Amino acid sequence: MKQQAYQTTSLTEGIVAFVHFARSHGLNIGLPETKDALLAADLGLLINRELFKDALKTIFCKSPEEEKVFEKIFLLYWDTNPIDLQERKGKATVQGLVEKKANATLVMLGRGDKQEQETDAKNVSGANEKERLKKTDLAQVKETDAAQLEAIARKLFREMAVRMRRRMKSSTKKGRINLRRTIRHSISYGGEPIELYRKSQKPKKQRLIVLLDVSGSMDKYSFYLLRFICALKEQFRQLEAFLFSTQLLRVTKALQLNRIDQILQTVSDQAEHWSGGTRIGTCLGKFNERYGKLLLNGSPIVLILSDGLDTGTPEELQKELKYIKGKARKLIWLNPLKGMKGYAPIAKGMSAALPAIDAFRSAHNLESLLELETILQDA
Amino acid sequence: MHTIQSQQEIINALDRMNYVAADAFATSLFLMLKLQKPLLLEGPPGVGKTEVAHALAKILDTKLIRLQCYEGLDINAAVYEWNYQKQLLGIKLQEGTALSIEEKEKHIFSHEYLLKRPLLESITELYQSPVLLIDELDRSDEEFEAFLLELLSAFQISIPEMGTIKAKHKPYVILTSNRTRELSDALKRRCLYHWIDYPDLALEMQIVQKHLPGIEASLLEQVVKTVQAFRQQKLAKIPGVSETIDWAQSLMTLGYRELNQQSFDQTLGAILKSTDDINQVKAEGLV
Repeated sequence: MKQQAYQTTSLTEGIVAFVHFARSHGLNIGLPETKDALLAADLGLLINRELFKDALKTIFCKSPEEEKVFEKIFLLYWDTNPIDLQERKGKATVQGLVEKKANATLVMLGRGDKQEQETDAKNVSGANEKERLKKTDLAQVKETDAAQLEAIARKLFREMAVRMRRRMKSSTKKGRINLRRTIRHSISYGGEPIELYRKSQKPKKQRLIVLLDVSGSMDKYSFYLLRFICALKEQFRQLEAFLFSTQLLRVTKALQLNRIDQILQTVSDQAEHWSGGTRIGTCLGKFNERYGKLLLNGSPIVLILSDGLDTGTPEELQKELKYIKGKARKLIWLNPLKGMKGYAPIAKGMSAALPAIDAFRSAHNLESLLELETILQDA
Repeated sequence: MHTIQSQQEIINALDRMNYVAADAFATSLFLMLKLQKPLLLEGPPGVGKTEVAHALAKILDTKLIRLQCYEGLDINAAVYEWNYQKQLLGIKLQEGTALSIEEKEKHIFSHEYLLKRPLLESITELYQSPVLLIDELDRSDEEFEAFLLELLSAFQISIPEMGTIKAKHKPYVILTSNRTRELSDALKRRCLYHWIDYPDLALEMQIVQKHLPGIEASLLEQVVKTVQAFRQQKLAKIPGVSETIDWAQSLMTLGYRELNQQSFDQTLGAILKSTDDINQVKAEGLV
């Protein structure tokens, strides 16, 4: 545990130690902020406790969430009485997130314990093999193929991301005349703009919101779909990702940090609490209510990955989808079941959803996922 | 312009400008002035983020330079652009002269041919620090945000043809964001931060009173209480303080002295801006 106020001897030390204390509780405070805090104290903001707290808050915190944490640790730091300390000691830090490094990939696929036996399984590879795997339904993947498929998926998704980027670049040949360059070069021709230089509008990157169903029925697919989302991240200006089954969970931050393992861990940890069927409508409702105003403006593309097996009412789902549709540039629904022979979207949830959807695609194997590239490109 | 020595002075001065500021907010403003760091204001729409910049400029008796951000905002619109027509003319005029190409080039890329846009304008003020308001920064692109970093930390702007221009008087910078997207950490680190939330009942009454001195006490309380109740409901667009003022003003203009069913129905459009909301509130009736 870091020092607390009563352990320091001077004001400067007290403030500096508070910075250390706050840092250990997850606030991101650098040296410039510390300097500012000391300057603020020097400005006479120390005379009053509230004033000092407000001053430190405006310097240290960068979001309303941080402000809440700050309130807590400010009390904890400045008001801890050595006498009470015996009880406090056990609590340690609020944030101390312990990362479990279990092989979440395998846990997710439901074969965590068989890991050892499979290591020397056949490793025959080749073009045909790759093509076959690309077409294999993700739910039917044999255990022996899992590792190989994962490697292929990773490679293909990466290629896709690069391809999308490159296409963006080369499609920017023409554009408005760049007067600045033209004039500059015209000087040597005595002021006649003989050579025209153009400047092209940078292609606008779209915003993408992904909602991934991680309920039991989607279990086999969610892992690959998550990888896929991760690959999409490269292409979009902003990617917001949510997981849902009975509850909604925002995973944007974890995805940005490439912590797929951690996401999978969370999902499998919570899996038991999440049983009892998917409630797509309710989750979308929650999304609209909590994040709708924040994220749904500026017409983003919304991508829903779900099998549409809903235990809620179709009316609810319909209502929420309509709301999203009204705000989004494009609403795409990927359904792994669509790849099945003879599948028709007659599950009541799915049929209720169809009218609001712009594109209804399958997502049962790698190939179908890669096809999405074209849809997203044009959007 | 007099210098401000304490946050209480700011509260008083803002009060004279019809802006009611809470203590914590005044402290942030005070630090912004003293530490000369930009202040990032976040909060829901309509709580007075933009308004405070106007009030501050008036207090300091200085110029307010405003940059409204939007998607696709680029350097040419935000920082500077060369006056191309004038440049072309300049080249023509130089035709007969014996100047070398380098000299000609230097001439048409001089201050005379530079069009200042808000950001450049803010750091080239000659006599005193202006207030620079960068409004709704969350609407701009990330590239633009990255560009701001140089300006916000060093208060300088580099123009390739001319070199670096450094601020004689550092502007007081206020950035606002509605949080439609998260701003980058790098930018946040260069700023002080304050989250403005909807005011509580007493504060909001004070604000409305300030703007509408003639309002009757009973009407004021009724209106503000109703608006506060609206904010607790699930509405598509939650009314801000400016809407409260609009509403109170509409009621006064129509000559109502209290909020009854008739006046409520008639003026609801001043406070709620979506048909769904209006229908919902009407169904629930006057609180």
